[in-house]
Amino acid sequence: MLGISPSMALRFEVLARHNRARASRLTLPHYEALTPLFMPVGTQGTIKGLTNDQLEDLDCQIILGNTYHLALRPGADLLDTIGGLHKFMNWPRALLTDSGGFQMVSLLHLADITEEGVTFQSPVDGKPMLLTPEDSIQIQNKIGADIIMALDDVVKTTTTGPRVEEAMYRTLRWIDRCIAAHSRPHEQNLFGIVQGGLDPQLRDICLEGLVARNLPGYAIGGLAGGEGKDAFWRVVAQCTAGLPEDKPRYVMGIGFPLDIVVCTALGADMYDCVYPTRTARFGSALVSEGVLRLTHAAMATDYRPLDSSCTCMVCKRYTRAYLHTLVTKEAMGSQLVSYHNISHMMQLSRNLHSSILEGRFPEFVQSFLQKQFPKGDVPDWVCNAMDVAGIDISMCRIPQSA
Amino acid sequence: MNWPRALLTDSGGFQMVSLLHLADITEEGVTFQSPVDGKPMLLTPEDSIQIQNKIGADIIMALDDVVKTTTTGPRVEEAMYRTLRWIDRCIAAHSRPHEQNLFGIVQGGLDPQLRDICLEGLVARNLPGYAIGGLAGGEGKDAFWRVVAQCTAGLPEDKPRYVMGIGFPLDIVVCTALGADMYDCVYPTRTARFGSALVSEGVLRLTHAAMATDYRPLDSSCTCMVCKRYTRAYLHTLVTKEAMGSQLVSYHNISHMMQLSRNLHSSILEGRFPE
Repeated sequence: MLGISPSMALRFEVLARHNRARASRLTLPHYEALTPLFMPVGTQGTIKGLTNDQLEDLDCQIILGNTYHLALRPGADLLDTIGGLHKFMNWPRALLTDSGGFQMVSLLHLADITEEGVTFQSPVDGKPMLLTPEDSIQIQNKIGADIIMALDDVVKTTTTGPRVEEAMYRTLRWIDRCIAAHSRPHEQNLFGIVQGGLDPQLRDICLEGLVARNLPGYAIGGLAGGEGKDAFWRVVAQCTAGLPEDKPRYVMGIGFPLDIVVCTALGADMYDCVYPTRTARFGSALVSEGVLRLTHAAMATDYRPLDSSCTCMVCKRYTRAYLHTLVTKEAMGSQLVSYHNISHMMQLSRNLHSSILEGRFPEFVQSFLQKQFPKGDVPDWVCNAMDVAGIDISMCRIPQSA
Repeated sequence: MNWPRALLTDSGGFQMVSLLHLADITEEGVTFQSPVDGKPMLLTPEDSIQIQNKIGADIIMALDDVVKTTTTGPRVEEAMYRTLRWIDRCIAAHSRPHEQNLFGIVQGGLDPQLRDICLEGLVARNLPGYAIGGLAGGEGKDAFWRVVAQCTAGLPEDKPRYVMGIGFPLDIVVCTALGADMYDCVYPTRTARFGSALVSEGVLRLTHAAMATDYRPLDSSCTCMVCKRYTRAYLHTLVTKEAMGSQLVSYHNISHMMQLSRNLHSSILEGRFPE
């Protein structure tokens, strides 16, 4: 209950700051990671298109597994028997699992949330099933990831009305059940998730409640769902301001490089998203200037690498023209572009960490924005967020004529 | 492709005949319906060689008239003689003989007399290398090896011999014993996509329920990346469900075939082929 501090299985040291942004060392049971960092999503024990050797080559530090998918295949008991997902996948670095709740609500027909937990139809045989906070934590204890997520009551950001408040308070009641059910606090770090929709007052109450539970780390949830960018950054700013300085902050579901740079400026440390690998499968490569659509006809005779500033294996060996012939037609296309996109995200992570560490974060942000917006049309929401973050980006922005 | 090693291209004829609706063979070439707009099109020996000259592979294959091994009757003989007439057209059309090697393909079905005539005709053209075609199509194994044996006996000692479409390790070992040098097949990668791994004992069906709790590597004698890092149980969860399953098993299967290649070469080199 309140006041009892659960044990921690991590150490978080802020090595350098620039205003709200931090460069830190996050020591987990399986790995010593440097933040800010992006976590690729491995859904069912594999990151689509990439082998473990490749993930290590790319410097991936923490990868994310979806509890819902893993519980279906290969199953929690099998993972328990073999000694956890690390052993099963043969991944020697860190793992994070989510609670399973989000997939259930977003993927399953007739999923419903009650005080007990999430009721849904089993995708295997259609029978009614229930995932309680206790169940989610038990399964995550079997999977064995370094960081596990509390089961929260998450609503779409576009939801309004009393449901948002109900979900926030339920999230607080459920965190206590998660803490009580957690059988491996010395090996796995239970993160709480801040909810409350776009309502600052609700977010405040949730922040207070979770901080009082003295958890090893915190996530900012309920975003990346269709809310306007202006509302998005304000919620992140409020939450990072309200969360403890000395614990990691994880914004769930964020994967656009621009969003990651802004959230980092506002004080967040960890991010995850399927975006880089998913967009690769649709033929889009992440490059310094933004997004390169490889399916575009012009790519057929473009013999440059994807990104001239990228040193990854794909950019060293393959041209845009070659990849153009593969994407959306050959599995190899997905693989190669996924490899590059993850490389891009890990390079971004390293750039964020080292620029903050070396006292040149504003310069990095300016250079990043200039490449993404060469015409100076940096969106208003980014400018407002950077204002709050105390980063001068006036040189990136050419005032748009009225 | 940025591939620095060797490439071989086939003539295009086989795919056309086996894949395209209403493909037909005449003296001119292979007529077929264009897969793009359905119009009638023609691939002549000259066309095939021209395209292969542009692709630029180290070895290019003659356009041959190939029939299913189960075919009987005059069609087999017609195809064999046409193959001989077409090799001359291929030789004449070949514009890069100093950079690309044109291999002739021995046809003649399962008929030793027809095979003999074809062998004689192709050997007389003094080509850089030869393929044994028209097999791997449904013939009985007894007929298969006898044709290979006859062809390797009839081809020059000092030129490479390529048995087309062979990929089962057992077939490769037998053909090697009979005097062949090169093989190709989609089998190792295709069977990987269906969840089958090639191992020392034969074929391991990863979809089998027993694999779910088998924590051994695919093949205990294999040193490839997949066998070093992954278990049968893990691969069992991926095959036929995740692209990664195909990738990893393909990687292992190709490793298996390359190890077989190395074993054949070195055992013969070191005088221990029978062992």
